[in-house]
Amino acid sequence: MANENVLEIKDITVDFDGFCALLRVNVNVRRHSIHFFIGPNGAGKTTLLDIICAKTAPTSGVCMFYPEGRKPVKLTGMKEYKIVGEGIGRKFQVPSVFVNLSVMDNMILSLKGNKGVLQSVFFRLSKEEEEQINEVLRTIDLLDKKDEKAGSLAHGQKQWLEIGMQLVQKPEIIMLDEPAAGMGKPETFKSGEILKKIKETCTILVVEHDMEFVKQISDKVTVLHEGKVLIEGTCDEVLADQTVQAVYLGRGGERNAED
Amino acid sequence: MRIKNKGYHICFAIIVVLLILAPLLLSAGVITSSSFILFLGKCIAFSIVAIGLDLIWGYTGILSLGHGLYFALGGYAMAMFLKLQTTNGRIVSFMQTGGMTELPAVWRPFLHMGPAMVLVILGPAVLSGVIGFFIFRNRIKGVYFSIISQALTWAAYSLFTGLQSYTGGNVGITEITSLLGSIKGDANRGKMFLLFYISVAILVLIYILSSFLTQTKFGKLLIAIRDGENRTYFSGYCVSRYKNFVYVLSAVFAAIAGAIFVNFNGSITPAQMTISYSITMVIWVAVGGRGTLVGAVLGAFLINLCDYNFSSGTMVEIWQYILGAIFVVTILFFKGGLVGIVRDQLPVWMKKVTRKEAE
Repeated sequence: MANENVLEIKDITVDFDGFCALLRVNVNVRRHSIHFFIGPNGAGKTTLLDIICAKTAPTSGVCMFYPEGRKPVKLTGMKEYKIVGEGIGRKFQVPSVFVNLSVMDNMILSLKGNKGVLQSVFFRLSKEEEEQINEVLRTIDLLDKKDEKAGSLAHGQKQWLEIGMQLVQKPEIIMLDEPAAGMGKPETFKSGEILKKIKETCTILVVEHDMEFVKQISDKVTVLHEGKVLIEGTCDEVLADQTVQAVYLGRGGERNAED
Repeated sequence: MRIKNKGYHICFAIIVVLLILAPLLLSAGVITSSSFILFLGKCIAFSIVAIGLDLIWGYTGILSLGHGLYFALGGYAMAMFLKLQTTNGRIVSFMQTGGMTELPAVWRPFLHMGPAMVLVILGPAVLSGVIGFFIFRNRIKGVYFSIISQALTWAAYSLFTGLQSYTGGNVGITEITSLLGSIKGDANRGKMFLLFYISVAILVLIYILSSFLTQTKFGKLLIAIRDGENRTYFSGYCVSRYKNFVYVLSAVFAAIAGAIFVNFNGSITPAQMTISYSITMVIWVAVGGRGTLVGAVLGAFLINLCDYNFSSGTMVEIWQYILGAIFVVTILFFKGGLVGIVRDQLPVWMKKVTRKEAE
């Protein structure tokens, strides 16, 4: 039987010189789901994403990735650019697109394929690749901005472009760190709809504060608190939980939701 | 984007045409001193280093303050070959002073042209490759890289001045003729012109190669690394390998430039290996306009033309201060250098002027 999980985080501990950012965290992520990580500031959400994509090395524990139709891959200890090659993309909290390049060039650089130096010198964009990029640009609604410099885009559009840059890599997992940050309500809703569409082809991990957004699209929610998993379940289950309300929603959560 | 690049190429073509005309002007008597042609020859060498520096600094955002090292290494390799040509393969006088009786082993490969020319390029390429491998693999960047590049140049300088019987010490390798023989005097004018045109051809080739590279996905990646190194890693690229590649490429350009320089200069000294010399190279690129190849070439020519005219006569004492001031003003107010002024600031000023006139 094929593994239903695409990612298994096993017993991860991160110790930054005595400060425990994560303590024995176990999370399983289902294939083709939208999995949210929420929690107050400093709960370890971003650190957890950093662990998965090898930006940070864990003190102990492993991350296992189960690609479809291939052998399982142990992500812990791999180089970050190799993890990208395995099919795990990451969008950062601050939109980081290449501001001096056009939207199209941003997409071309993100394409799946061989990323060696010589391959880049002799790279030619194929018809299929161009089609694929246009398709993704249509999804994120930036097709008419193709030749504009990425630096000239609005904040929300940069966020979408960065999501799009993950999509052309045809990843199996994409990780989004606060994709709705700095977005207005209509933009946030639109982001949600885009993510639902993306879910058909890959698994999405999201760190987010905006509870409206969580309600709109989440399949599963993991609440982190002080480096530990507090509770895991569907959005409604989590929201109904007493401890969650005490540590999180009672404080920053409500305020954020009203923004 | 396309049209802008056309402007750059036209600008470069004008420079090349002027260079091609220079020897003819000398023959016609418009230029009176043949040493001016030798000077232009050196400028060609300088603009080749500048192109390399622009690739690594202007495009990739890595500020190297030590490219004088590779320039000098290329220069020394060429000078060693040329010196042995003048001594017919016999031991050089500074070696005798150092107590040697036969040619040291490191000089042997420079007896023949083939191996010598290979070493001009291979030596700096291998050295920069090894240095770059360790620096970039350990993800050393920004000001730390700049400091290391300086320190390495300083170390090489000490080494070259210290090993007097191998390198000629402080004096360097002097009294050498060019690859084509002596180019001094009216009788050898034909040879000088030929050498000059060969250098122009090399400059054009390096410019074409570099502008091809910047047009490819590789070139876009260099800009991507400059603007968002982290993002580039997380787009699946081994950034350190790209950095190392461009570091080696620019070192090779510097070495070729050094080799051309020696032919026109007739000597190589450790002065070309000093830190201030390396920083001067950075000034050329900054003033001309980093991030555009033609800016680097323009900067190298203009600053050196000023240097040529001002470093004798009444300006000699204040010229260094003026140069420093130009550099500071460029960095503070005109990040794009001269090219940037023409491309970005000028249209804005023009608009302001026309608007005022309309009022």
